[in-house]
Amino acid sequence: MDKLIICRCEEVSLEDIENTANKYSCSARELKLRTRAGMGYCGGRTCRPAVDAVLEEVTGEKPGNDIPLKVQPPVRPVSLSVLGGKKR
Amino acid sequence: MYDVVIIGAGPAGLSAAIACRESNLHVLVIDEFPKPGGRLLGQLHQEPTGEWWNGIEETKILMDKATTLNTEIKCGISAHHIEKTDHGYSVHTNEGVFESENLLIATGAAETAVPIPGWTLPGVMSIGAAQVMTNVHRVRVGNKGVVVGVNVLSAAIARELQLAGVELHSMALPASNPVTKNHANPRKVMEGLVRIAHLAPSAFIRFGSKFAKAEWVRNIAVSFYPKGGVKMWGMPIHIRKAIVQINGTEKVESVTMCDITADGEIVKGSEKIIEVDFVCIAGGLYPLAELASVIGCPFQYVEELGGHVPVHNEQMETPLEGLFVAGNITGIESAKVARAQGTLAGLSIVKQKLRDHKDINAKIQQAVANVQAVRDAASIQFHPGIDEGRKKIESAFEEYKIS
Repeated sequence: MDKLIICRCEEVSLEDIENTANKYSCSARELKLRTRAGMGYCGGRTCRPAVDAVLEEVTGEKPGNDIPLKVQPPVRPVSLSVLGGKKR
Repeated sequence: MYDVVIIGAGPAGLSAAIACRESNLHVLVIDEFPKPGGRLLGQLHQEPTGEWWNGIEETKILMDKATTLNTEIKCGISAHHIEKTDHGYSVHTNEGVFESENLLIATGAAETAVPIPGWTLPGVMSIGAAQVMTNVHRVRVGNKGVVVGVNVLSAAIARELQLAGVELHSMALPASNPVTKNHANPRKVMEGLVRIAHLAPSAFIRFGSKFAKAEWVRNIAVSFYPKGGVKMWGMPIHIRKAIVQINGTEKVESVTMCDITADGEIVKGSEKIIEVDFVCIAGGLYPLAELASVIGCPFQYVEELGGHVPVHNEQMETPLEGLFVAGNITGIESAKVARAQGTLAGLSIVKQKLRDHKDINAKIQQAVANVQAVRDAASIQFHPGIDEGRKKIESAFEEYKIS
């Protein structure tokens, strides 16, 4: 069977995430930084709940009230010119 | 400077805009989709009463009202950041920055992905994407497909695809893995289906009546679930079969389906290849709250509402002054609830702006009661404990105010 991809932007597999979470007993943030899951083009909009679910499975803890992975602007893909560069 | 910028032109955002325009507030509505209506546009289903709910018609009613009131609505604009300023909020978009005293975030929900092997192949889409292509863009998603994930949303949309003449082989569960586990457990799926049977459209009632509500009957139903599935609208729904792999080199060519035990374990040697050219994955919805998060609005994790929800009270105010929320960002419910919440949020914004506006408190009380009445009568309920979930979020708001 093929590897099961969780984060499609950065091509991070379930295996990568589980191994990293087990090895380092990571927080969601550390897991993101170590694997790059959720750091691709879509900004984690697709895989965020999946990464949370894997962590929940590994740690056995329900998510807390804070959003596990901090949301950073820009929350949509925008061109650099929109963020302050000169428009062509 | 606007009195209010409303992000999201769905049922919540448009209803709020109408309420604000009726009191002559300076309003801007923005939406990232090319046309207004939000996810309402895709909806088409039969109510238990036999009446049809047509989202395009419902959108038109809202848009006619908004247009009569000269509401400024800009579509095809994405908000990518929001900053709190001394006098309100700056909404950063790909079409410039909009300044507003108040802000309503009505961004709705996003679909939860259900990863199974092969789900990154072209031809695999979320069930909601199939709905938008079919009912909004009028594009045929494929010739023959399967739906992975059995729940109220996927069954309703599968019906819409059928009505549009798209052939579906069947609906089945996803293979179990740490992400799919709840969607992959036949007992949990059966519980969910039986719970909604009394509320939902006629074919569901027939589906539900086959399996009584007692737990032991459900267990028997799961254990002795018909091999050929239970047919709804002529299409087999399998809760004892799972899609374990989507196959193809350049695009979807087939899926591998296996029998599963009542606990979701795969029965070895039961693999069957089914030729399809598209696959719809249905993992449910979660509140799309990124923008509330970047301004620093506090959140509460409430499973009954679909996940992390911005803290708010029953008048749709958040703890941040001038920040309001309405619609599915506050919890996954039907479009009718979103519409009622939008009207309520609009009135709360009017109150915030025109402090001594006469009769506004009475109107707000009426709108609060209306939201509850619409919720109680809802024909589609995604989460069973919605009222408990709502109570949790309100007490979180009270606690937040005290601390």
